[in-house]
Amino acid sequence: MTTASIVAVGRPAIPRYQSLLRHLQGGLKGSEYTWAIAFIVPYAAVFLAFLAYPVVYGLWMGSEPSLYRELFSDPIYQSTVINTLLFLGLGVNLKMFCALLMSGFFMRRGWWVKALLMIYVLPWAVPALPTFISIHWMLNGEWGLLNNFLYNVFGIEGPSWLNSHWLALGSAIFSHVWKWMPFWTVILLAGRMSIPQELNDAAAVDGATGIRRFVHVSFPLRANLYLICTLLSTIFTLGDFNSVYFVTGGGPANSTHVLATLGIRDAFQVARPDLGVATVMTALPLLIPLVIILMRKLRTTEVQL
Amino acid sequence: MAILTRRTVLRSSIGAAAVGALSRPYIANAAATTAEVWWTQGFVPEEDAAFKTLVANYEKESGNKIDYSITPYAALRQKEISAITSGVVPDMMEIADFAITPINAWDDKLVELDDVVNPVKSQFTKTALDCCYHYNNKTKKRSYYITPMKVAAVPFHIWKSLVEKGGGKISELPKTWDAFMDFFKPVQKGLRAAGMRNVYALGYQLTTNGVDPINTFNAWLTAYGGSGLVTADGKLHSDNAQVKDAFIQAIKNLTTPFKEGYVPPGCVNWNDADDNNAFHSKLMVMDFDGTISTEVALYHKKEEYDDILTHGLPLSNDGKELPAQVAVFGPVIPKGAKNLDAAKEFAKYMIQPKVLNEYLKAGLGRWVIPVADIVKSDPFWLKEDPHREAYTTMSVISPTYPIYEAYNPAMAQVGAEHVIMTSCFDVMNNGMAPEQAAAKAFKRMEEIFTKYPIAQS
Repeated sequence: MTTASIVAVGRPAIPRYQSLLRHLQGGLKGSEYTWAIAFIVPYAAVFLAFLAYPVVYGLWMGSEPSLYRELFSDPIYQSTVINTLLFLGLGVNLKMFCALLMSGFFMRRGWWVKALLMIYVLPWAVPALPTFISIHWMLNGEWGLLNNFLYNVFGIEGPSWLNSHWLALGSAIFSHVWKWMPFWTVILLAGRMSIPQELNDAAAVDGATGIRRFVHVSFPLRANLYLICTLLSTIFTLGDFNSVYFVTGGGPANSTHVLATLGIRDAFQVARPDLGVATVMTALPLLIPLVIILMRKLRTTEVQL
Repeated sequence: MAILTRRTVLRSSIGAAAVGALSRPYIANAAATTAEVWWTQGFVPEEDAAFKTLVANYEKESGNKIDYSITPYAALRQKEISAITSGVVPDMMEIADFAITPINAWDDKLVELDDVVNPVKSQFTKTALDCCYHYNNKTKKRSYYITPMKVAAVPFHIWKSLVEKGGGKISELPKTWDAFMDFFKPVQKGLRAAGMRNVYALGYQLTTNGVDPINTFNAWLTAYGGSGLVTADGKLHSDNAQVKDAFIQAIKNLTTPFKEGYVPPGCVNWNDADDNNAFHSKLMVMDFDGTISTEVALYHKKEEYDDILTHGLPLSNDGKELPAQVAVFGPVIPKGAKNLDAAKEFAKYMIQPKVLNEYLKAGLGRWVIPVADIVKSDPFWLKEDPHREAYTTMSVISPTYPIYEAYNPAMAQVGAEHVIMTSCFDVMNNGMAPEQAAAKAFKRMEEIFTKYPIAQS
């Protein structure tokens, strides 16, 4: 007789359902399990009410196939998809790359650098709506601050910034970068500060300075953080309504809408919330892979040199 | 002393949660004599004060209670659409928008108000009633869905001092449409010569935001004989030669002054209030904008208030009187309203002509009462103020016709998509011919109209 057999004979057999129940209870017994349930109920209720329900409700609202036929037949929709991709591609990458460079600048020592950083983060700290509305006014071709400045200082008539598709879209992208670059600069700055100075010192001893040190040491150490920030920023930017709506209003002639603003237009100007939800739902094929990649990257913990 | 055990804690927590979940706020528990009402914030404080007085008078007379909230227009619009979508609705909400009522009446999401409107119907203008008479795609019939309260038309606002400074004379304002528009062009030249670098002759919205550009185009369309674009049977007449010609002419005569530099280039991307701001800053000699909010905003600045000339529509180019397209705003009752009777009671009270008149007068007359007899008999409307006189005359006394959205909700979508202004933009910025732009707009309008077929009785 083996040892295992002796043990099996010496204990009463545990019914299979009890074993399953214990497994489901995570090894908790009696009152421990009851307390665990009591503590988790509020969280589950909040999760269901404020996260699961709105998402499911949105999916339900946008579940009618005819909505998508209607949406795809809207001539504005196709240009909106292209604008969204441009807004994401240019806006996110320009913002993140500039933020990366600026984070290097703000690593410098000196009181004036710290003072400058305080001023630099102001666009991010101030409320979005008034600033975007101010930008809209500043860019007015006839009476805006920018063109008046150009005329009074250089004697030149500036263009009507919000009258052409490219200038208006560029203005919206610029406004987005201006608003959010400080935030990502601070995040990347924090990432830089977490890298031991010894690594840079060792690289310097080995003769790696300037651009070589950035390419072979500094950037690889931050690559994962940069990628995660870029993915996160892409997800945030996909839902950025304010930068476009309050700067260009989706104009001129509906030519600068992105999915977020078109969805709001359909929901509240056309008074068709179902169509608005369907508009936003069409971003899911882009959004879901981004979230999956982000989750996978977040599992990576080691530095990839 | 009670001992606090795990069981008592859990029981108490569950009990408290149940009480919290099952109990109702005071209003919902109240009797059916309370109605929850959402109202639009006015352009000036006097409008809000007028509504509060109306409510106070009603509560005093009826003993009922009105639980109201006053919200700015854009925010209220979103709140209303969200409420109708979710089904969690107030008992009454004011609609100051062209799309919500026709689309939700079509979808059978509003309560019919025939029993509210019919008793006083004979006193109201036909156009006002037509504006409130919408088609329900479920019942396949038209009914009243808005309580007719506030008439709005679109007048011209003109700075008299700028006209004089630019070398023009107000007394020489031409009577017919094209000549009227052309009158301001030399004024702009005069003002520029006098050193006003960025002043413009004509102010009108050619943007793809809000309802102003829709009003603008429809006025020009009417001026050239195209007011039959959509008829009372809900049909689009894009194949009608007269309508087609007028449509092309309207596009041409709105966009040509733009291309010639007589309209601020920024008007293609203005927000709702941008033309008001530009006009108030005296950067445009004339502005075509809905209601007399432009004047009312300066009500307490006497000199500027008096410097503005409010002008109705000129005659057509062949000298005929032009009908003004008007909108009528007022409250609707969404389906699912808990206190339907109380809401209807309040609606019946509000549209009693005498009550309505006092309310609108207290709001400085920004909205005109849709009751011709009162307009003629109460000196407030036609005798005491030149702005109000011109505005009231075009809104109620002169010929009028309702917004197209009342005839067919398809026009609400056409307007919200800004189909026509997008075509105008093609002419102004992309070099498209007006004929091509009109064809492009008609194609999209016809697509939209196929989604809203209206049964003919």
